[in-house]
Amino acid sequence: MPPPARSSRGGRPYDRRAVTEPSRIRNFCIIAHIDHGKSTLADRLLELTHAVSDRDMREQYLDKMDLERERGITIKAQAVRLAYDGFELNLIDTPGHVDFTYEVSRSLAACEGAVLLVDAAQGVEAQTLANYHLARDAGLSIVPVVNKIDLPQADLEGTRADLAELVGCEPEEVLAVSGKTGQGVPELLEVVIARVPPPDGSREAPLRALIFDSTFDPYRGVVAYLRVKDGVLPSRAKVRFMATGLDSEAEEAGVFAPEATPVDRLETGEVGYLITGLKDVHQVKVGDTVTVAGKGRASEPLSGYREPLPMVWSGLFPAEGGDYTELRDALDRLKLNDAALVFEPETSQALGFGFRCGFLGLLHMDIVKERLEREFGLELIATAPNVEFHVIRGAETIVVHNPSEMLHPGTYDRVEEPVVLATIITPAEHLGAVLELCQARRGEMADMRYLSPTRVEVHYRLPLAEIIFDFFDQLKSKTRGYASLDYEPIGYEPSELVRVDVLLHGEPVDAFSSVVHREKAYRYGRRMVERLRELIPRQLFDVAIQASIGSRIVARETVKAKRKDVLAKCYGGDVTRKRKLLEEQKRGKERLRRVGRVDVPQEAFIAALRVDQQKAAGR
Amino acid sequence: MSAGLYVHVPFCLTRCGYCDFNAYAGLDHLASRYVAALVREASLAAPGWVGEGFVSVFLGGGTPTTLEPDDLGRLLGRLRELFRVAPDAEVTIEANPDTVDRAKLEVLLGAGYTRLSMGAQSFDPAVLASLERLHDPASVRRAMREARATGFANVNLDLIYGAHDERLASWDRTLRETIDLGPEHVSAYALTIEPSTPLGRKVREGLVPAPDPDLQADMFELACELLAAAGYQHYEVSNWAKPGFACAHNLGYWERRPYLGLGAGAHSYRNDRRWWNVRPPHGYLEAVEAGRLPTGGEERLEPSDAYLEEVFLRLRILEGVPASWVEPEKAEPFLVAGLLRETDGALVPTERGMLLLNELVLALAG
Repeated sequence: MPPPARSSRGGRPYDRRAVTEPSRIRNFCIIAHIDHGKSTLADRLLELTHAVSDRDMREQYLDKMDLERERGITIKAQAVRLAYDGFELNLIDTPGHVDFTYEVSRSLAACEGAVLLVDAAQGVEAQTLANYHLARDAGLSIVPVVNKIDLPQADLEGTRADLAELVGCEPEEVLAVSGKTGQGVPELLEVVIARVPPPDGSREAPLRALIFDSTFDPYRGVVAYLRVKDGVLPSRAKVRFMATGLDSEAEEAGVFAPEATPVDRLETGEVGYLITGLKDVHQVKVGDTVTVAGKGRASEPLSGYREPLPMVWSGLFPAEGGDYTELRDALDRLKLNDAALVFEPETSQALGFGFRCGFLGLLHMDIVKERLEREFGLELIATAPNVEFHVIRGAETIVVHNPSEMLHPGTYDRVEEPVVLATIITPAEHLGAVLELCQARRGEMADMRYLSPTRVEVHYRLPLAEIIFDFFDQLKSKTRGYASLDYEPIGYEPSELVRVDVLLHGEPVDAFSSVVHREKAYRYGRRMVERLRELIPRQLFDVAIQASIGSRIVARETVKAKRKDVLAKCYGGDVTRKRKLLEEQKRGKERLRRVGRVDVPQEAFIAALRVDQQKAAGR
Repeated sequence: MSAGLYVHVPFCLTRCGYCDFNAYAGLDHLASRYVAALVREASLAAPGWVGEGFVSVFLGGGTPTTLEPDDLGRLLGRLRELFRVAPDAEVTIEANPDTVDRAKLEVLLGAGYTRLSMGAQSFDPAVLASLERLHDPASVRRAMREARATGFANVNLDLIYGAHDERLASWDRTLRETIDLGPEHVSAYALTIEPSTPLGRKVREGLVPAPDPDLQADMFELACELLAAAGYQHYEVSNWAKPGFACAHNLGYWERRPYLGLGAGAHSYRNDRRWWNVRPPHGYLEAVEAGRLPTGGEERLEPSDAYLEEVFLRLRILEGVPASWVEPEKAEPFLVAGLLRETDGALVPTERGMLLLNELVLALAG
């Protein structure tokens, strides 16, 4: 079926030459926790503004928009333009996860206002709170909204009071809507128009457009999502990316209405996309400023740009040694679309050739690993994630992001590790358990306040290394799932960290080395040797499994030598079957990795390295 | 002049939970039809084996002694007519202690069965119960007495060790009782959990613990010690015999001599070809009664298959493999560790080596 003419898609035809006065533009985003109803509310906004005809409307329209149907391109809408009552409203999508705090901050910088959306039955969550603080710090006008007021278990007044307290307004000023029924949504649009200021910026000034996201499209190259802060962005122009210093012939500017629609230019204050003419997503960085190339270009970029910083590191190794080239190609492909992914070749004695990869956080790590496995059909072994340590020796700072490269005690002055400020919101009844967990994870309380008589917000300074293991799972289990967590890095601090090695039959296994706090080193070593004792098959000799700090052995277990491995019976009718059993056993042996004299099955590495990681959901 | 003739009788009084042999309880009504079919199959197969001399006949099962002794006698007679069986061939029949009495034994001996192999399994009633064996230790002693009185001069007792509730002390008593009965031959098998059996299912479901390999190793070592002291030679992983009484038929399997199998599910082997009959007795009967060889499948061994078989079968027995087949550096660590010894240019597993035979095979054949 051919695509319908564009004019029939929306409730009203879109005029690509129309110019909207900045005073009639509103740029805003919706801050909401997962499942608090952002997508459903967005559907109602699309309907109310006739952006999509009734016939084309589907649930969670923006989430599922598949632009491949049109022009075969795969641009995902990150910002949708809505026409309402003579106003141009740009709704900008923001990632919600803590791993992407920088990306969130750039999306927020493209807005003047934020709808703070909270589920009437769930209340304020930590992630919402963190993003609210980001938005407030960015100077955005906040429109507090309680959603899902149609639910029987909705606590409208309580949630209203919490939000009013948080934002510093009267409870009556908090809007009440139902994304499901549409109740209160027209009023919300009116309030957005009334309260969110129009964009400022100067049409006469040199062009400065903020890139708040970018993607790679196989047909059209790198697509930047941007907000024009000053000046005008013509549809086809030679543009400069100020942070990278690159010039490029941009091929097309456009807006999402909500389908990708080319425009003649993007005006001051407008939001849209630019097909940059570049082929590498690393040339188009989130937070960079686009200006015109040559004469008339801006002299100063917009503030706030920084390079993406990996926070969590892990070694990725192909389970089958021969897949190294495939893993490298797959990482190269992923990097096309993921500017934050960094990797470098790593050789492990135990795991062979692989890559040490840096991620923004655990979610990012999980996403990358899952995509490598699912989209590229690779079977991977991932080493336990670790943070980046700074080893200070005299005037020198050595950056270590692989535990097996960590220096041994006595060869340096001190070690520093990254520390985060964690925000935890918990029902008051679980406060004790939360404090206990934070203390056990070397936390230091910053402050604590009651959001309401039953909900508490706690701030803890915690080493990032303590959070990246099973902290979130522990938090959830200790609070029956009710606590929420967010955190932001606040720098490096000195710490009593030591490297713990694991030895098999006297040989250190680099993949099992870890850098842990001195007080926890023994427990880590103990746990690893106990786990490995279960996982390492018996060999023809006793295998010592040891954990050591420097030259000191802190834990030891022994896998006793195997004594019996024989087929009891083998008569005329058994020979074929027994031969096949032996062949199978032989194939199993071929899959073993040899560490010194010890044969270790692949599964032992995977199981020993498995940590219960924080999952995306609920963070 | 070295082939073996195997005849499979798939009937049993009951099915034991650990057993994965092609055997069935409650099919006794097929017995006489089955004997007729065996004779028919033998006559269909015989033309293919003209010129082959047979040094052994082995009636196994199942429980061959569930058949009528006269039928068993006539069957052996027909086999001798159809095949070139050496006059002094070893002729074994397997028996369940409860299915033999003096009269039956006399018929069998008279018909030419020279070797009696009985499933004793254990002399501990608790172990017999856990193996779901119906006989009691007394019936083994009785059957042994009757066999001797009848005149059987070559008797084997089968034993199974390492059932989940068996302790080393119980195994020690079983071995001593066995030795006291003075059979010429003892087969002692570590209980192996076969996935397809009721016991296999129980272990999978956690209802019964899997055998402890270390305890089974202790039991193996105890058997080696006690049987050696009683004058038995340990000539195969699970087989011991008084001098001159090693089982010629079974040695044929390990020496890779040809064998012809008759009966439901029986395997045959010659010249790197192995084939087998259909397993279900009804299917077997239908094929044979229709005048067809009841072959259910076959394989032709690639040279690499044949080599692996050569190594893993010969390492089971004292013959071992020629040292010249194996790169010295492969054998070296096992010689040093005392798992292998070198005798007359052959690499032979020690008793400790027998316990780790799979490791030896994979290292030497790999």
